[in-house]
Amino acid sequence: MLTFVTVGTFQFDALVQTVLSSPVLRALRGRGYTDLVVQCGQSDFEFVEAVAGGDTVRLERDGVRVELWKSKASLAADFRRADLIIGHAGAGTILEVLRLGTPLIVVPNPTLLHNHQTELAAALAAHLKMSSVACVVHLFLTGLTPIHSPSDLAATVAAFDPVTLRTFPPFEGSRFRALLDAEMGF
Amino acid sequence: MGLLTIATILFLLYRLLCTLPSRRPVVKHEKTKSFAVFLGSGGHTGEALTLVSALDFSRYCPRTYIISQGDTFSEQKAAALEASKATAVVSSCPAQYTILTIPRARRVLQPLVTVPQTALISLLSCIYHITITHSPFRGRSSFADVLILNGPGTCCMLCIAVYINKFLGLAAPRVIYIESFARVEALSLSGKLLYPFVDRFIVQWQQLAEKAKRAEFHGLLV
Repeated sequence: MLTFVTVGTFQFDALVQTVLSSPVLRALRGRGYTDLVVQCGQSDFEFVEAVAGGDTVRLERDGVRVELWKSKASLAADFRRADLIIGHAGAGTILEVLRLGTPLIVVPNPTLLHNHQTELAAALAAHLKMSSVACVVHLFLTGLTPIHSPSDLAATVAAFDPVTLRTFPPFEGSRFRALLDAEMGF
Repeated sequence: MGLLTIATILFLLYRLLCTLPSRRPVVKHEKTKSFAVFLGSGGHTGEALTLVSALDFSRYCPRTYIISQGDTFSEQKAAALEASKATAVVSSCPAQYTILTIPRARRVLQPLVTVPQTALISLLSCIYHITITHSPFRGRSSFADVLILNGPGTCCMLCIAVYINKFLGLAAPRVIYIESFARVEALSLSGKLLYPFVDRFIVQWQQLAEKAKRAEFHGLLV
């Protein structure tokens, strides 16, 4: 099975460094996730120079086949083929993955302006709980604790239960269409 | 002399009054309307393109995608959306879409003290595209009928340029700001700055709409 890690458009050093640490890799291997693809963005980590020019780095560590690259215009194909996604708490990433119904572990990036990622993860956790769409709630909740040591993420990977996951309501385009059409006199 | 001064002041006040935002919808009935949308990179681009993907492109033509300098991903994503919509488009509108590039007002993690300098360069570019290129002297039609903004900071520069048009009595687009789905409890910095100035201000969380009087909530839009 394949794990896909995404840090978003910019960088998230701690997340990239952590997923490449032995405790997390061993936890992934233990759950049957033998392949790991990491979209690193501009994160600072051990292979930062090797991926800087747009190259893909492949290696094997702790029994996991790892593929590292910087970024792509669209991650849609990577999201679709992944069995587990570990990502920053970007709104776009969360919505896209929730609608696919793929297990998602969210790690808010605390370095962004006004730390809104933690806020979003908390609100979604509460919202999903209220509307009885019991999906990913426990994953979000674990994601609310910023990872201080690799063992936090390793523990989440070891403990989460993908069976309880359900999909999120699909994109409802008619709302914005109606709003703008009315505004423009159609 | 005194009369002239009073007349000038009254005229300037009148022009300022004309720039006030209004919730009055556009009444002109035309076959098509044009939109411009700012793609602020990353999640902003994702949300903005999701919003416009919901529109009937045969109604909205031509379309302008405004991107920040160096943001090739947003340009590719806009082109991909246009390609996916290509079958649904009517032939009455020859120039389907254009990509407009402007310098960023603030890069992610750029220290706030250096912002005035980069913001000014960005603003001049916005004024060039929105005010000068489409002025009656250049014989062009208006920039767009509606400008859709979703953040981040650079989109404020576009809004200022629209206000210059309004003040000068030039054609100006309606401005709609859609706060990111990522903003739950508090407005973003660009949201706070644009809140009093845009014609429509839309948020995607009920609790945020309760905090901001002008904000409208129509459910999750992305």
